[in-house]
Amino acid sequence: MRVEATVSGHRRIVEVRGTADEYIIRVGGEAVPFRLRPDAGSECFRLEVGGQTIPVRICAAGGGASVIIGTARVAVGLRRALPIPSRRNAGLGASARREVRAPIPGLVVAVPVAQGATVAPHTPVAIIEAMKMQMEVPAAAAGRIEDLRVRPGQEVAGGAVLAVIACPPDATGMDAPAVAGQGA
Amino acid sequence: MALPRRLLIANRGEIAVRVIRACRDLDISPIAVYAPVDAGAPHVRLADEALLLPGDVPAESYLNGPLLVELARRTGAAALHPGYGFLAENPAFAALCEEAGLAFVGPPADVLRRCGDKAAARAAADASGVPILRGTPPVDDDVAGREARAVGFPLLIKAAGGGGGKGIHLVRGPSDLASALRLARGEAQAAFGDPRVYLERWLEQPRHVEVQILADHQGGVIHLGERACSVQRRHQKLIEEAPAPGLPAALREALVTAAVRVARTLGYRNAGTIEFLVDGEEFFFIEVNARIQVEHPVTELVTGVDLIAAQVLIASGAPLPWRQADLRWTGCALECRISAEDPHAGFLPSLGRIDGVTEPAGPGVRVDSGAWPGQVVSRHYDPLLSKVITTGPSREAAIDRMRRALREYAISGVSTTIPFHLWALDQPAFARGLYDVRFADGWEPEPPTPEVERLATLAAAAWFHRRLTTPTLPADGAVGRWIGAGREESLR
Repeated sequence: MRVEATVSGHRRIVEVRGTADEYIIRVGGEAVPFRLRPDAGSECFRLEVGGQTIPVRICAAGGGASVIIGTARVAVGLRRALPIPSRRNAGLGASARREVRAPIPGLVVAVPVAQGATVAPHTPVAIIEAMKMQMEVPAAAAGRIEDLRVRPGQEVAGGAVLAVIACPPDATGMDAPAVAGQGA
Repeated sequence: MALPRRLLIANRGEIAVRVIRACRDLDISPIAVYAPVDAGAPHVRLADEALLLPGDVPAESYLNGPLLVELARRTGAAALHPGYGFLAENPAFAALCEEAGLAFVGPPADVLRRCGDKAAARAAADASGVPILRGTPPVDDDVAGREARAVGFPLLIKAAGGGGGKGIHLVRGPSDLASALRLARGEAQAAFGDPRVYLERWLEQPRHVEVQILADHQGGVIHLGERACSVQRRHQKLIEEAPAPGLPAALREALVTAAVRVARTLGYRNAGTIEFLVDGEEFFFIEVNARIQVEHPVTELVTGVDLIAAQVLIASGAPLPWRQADLRWTGCALECRISAEDPHAGFLPSLGRIDGVTEPAGPGVRVDSGAWPGQVVSRHYDPLLSKVITTGPSREAAIDRMRRALREYAISGVSTTIPFHLWALDQPAFARGLYDVRFADGWEPEPPTPEVERLATLAAAAWFHRRLTTPTLPADGAVGRWIGAGREESLR
């Protein structure tokens, strides 16, 4: 199987051959024999390569995998290498709406802003409590609260939209505008 | 007085398991309680009896004081161990146990009240001639600004009603005061049911050193030496060790003497910890933790004392079996807390279901764990899963064993603090023992080396291949694993 693996924006075609956790991989003409032995559960493996064994944790993340080796985490974009060119590179352009999302699931304990309020990038939009800790969720962009979707006392899922901010055209948020492409 | 025949453990996770083990060693029958989400947990399996609590919310489960006392009565328990967190430092609950004729394994209600009121504990330390940090009594919002200027910035806001790092906020300047006060009060109210907060001077780069105390009901007070706990994040400890590296003998002597003095002034009973900040040659009392602490094993391993068993002995009215001169310290011990937090995402809680666990073992390695395959890490409870404690004749040996143990540890389903610990062990400041409470702020996931990226690419590609080529049947339990494996095999 030919797999297209993208690490830090660098794309490589990797050829994987093998069965029962024993593989030979070809990267740029170099053949690397190795094993991927299951260790615990669905995510933990031991990578046997080059005469040593390395514990790794691999979990599905976005359009690929997140690989934890030692202290490092490496996001690897993965897909089957197909001879059809990608259509995913068309830019979406910067949006004039910004969503404020819950960073973790939890309980909304306070919503210090009101519908229609003007906010700065650091203005707290909601305070969420999880595991006995409270954290402020900042607006992330300057603008006006166009749609406030949560009330105090409400349980929210991780990633849930808490509010939508309408940004004036010249507003500069904390992040660069979203860029289309392979998510990490 | 005789030991209780049965003891109820009003807690969950690794500490419930730890108390069960102490009960077994003392020939006491342990009784566990559990919230529905903890039904398959080790403490439920290891206890002689396990009683289901009505809900997962702490108020219905491990904070449900009246029900816990009633369950103890119903099962014939003569004592109750609260573990740490939850009801461990709640004077009303200790009093409730006493009224019900249950031995509360911890300090009596009046001692908990004195220690729990942080301002009163500071006053007690001050009265016993132990240095304290400049601070205030509990403050109202309207005078906070004036009080803050008197203490000086930067300063800490701390909850008057409790410890454990909850409700603590650092304020660098006057403009941050109002929002930090609001957060601190909210956390203090949620964690302790008490919104009072006070202000305290903040030291830029102190070390956190604490002293373990045991005190019996006959007036005996001994210390079991110190622990260094400076590796902290958001005021939560991550790594602890004993003895404290780089602590001059005279300073150590001053600390342990001060700790015993504070314990005597407070009329302390049972196991407790006196916490200090050390800044150069100076030290300051910060608070008393009136409970067994998460990091107690490092002290157990260098002194050979079972602190939980000692707690039960003291609670049953027995005098301390040791005098201060009987205690000896041997070797070094190091503890890493394994929490379901993602160090690559700002240590956010990592919620999910654990689907596999391989724990380390071997010479010099102790694992106090509450983790199990099937465990749901929920937002209701603390994210601590387990603790790895290693020992060695030297600090270097304990660190090497920790590295070995952490590389053996595999937890699947949630992110853990293991990558952070591997980073910490390799830092020159940690290796030399010259680290302070700012140490963990230096964690920054380093950009992976080309070699690590290459290995990650290999592993990810093989994992992807494996996922696309391995047939799986739903693991709903309807098909036995033997038959299921056979069917999967035939599909290959």
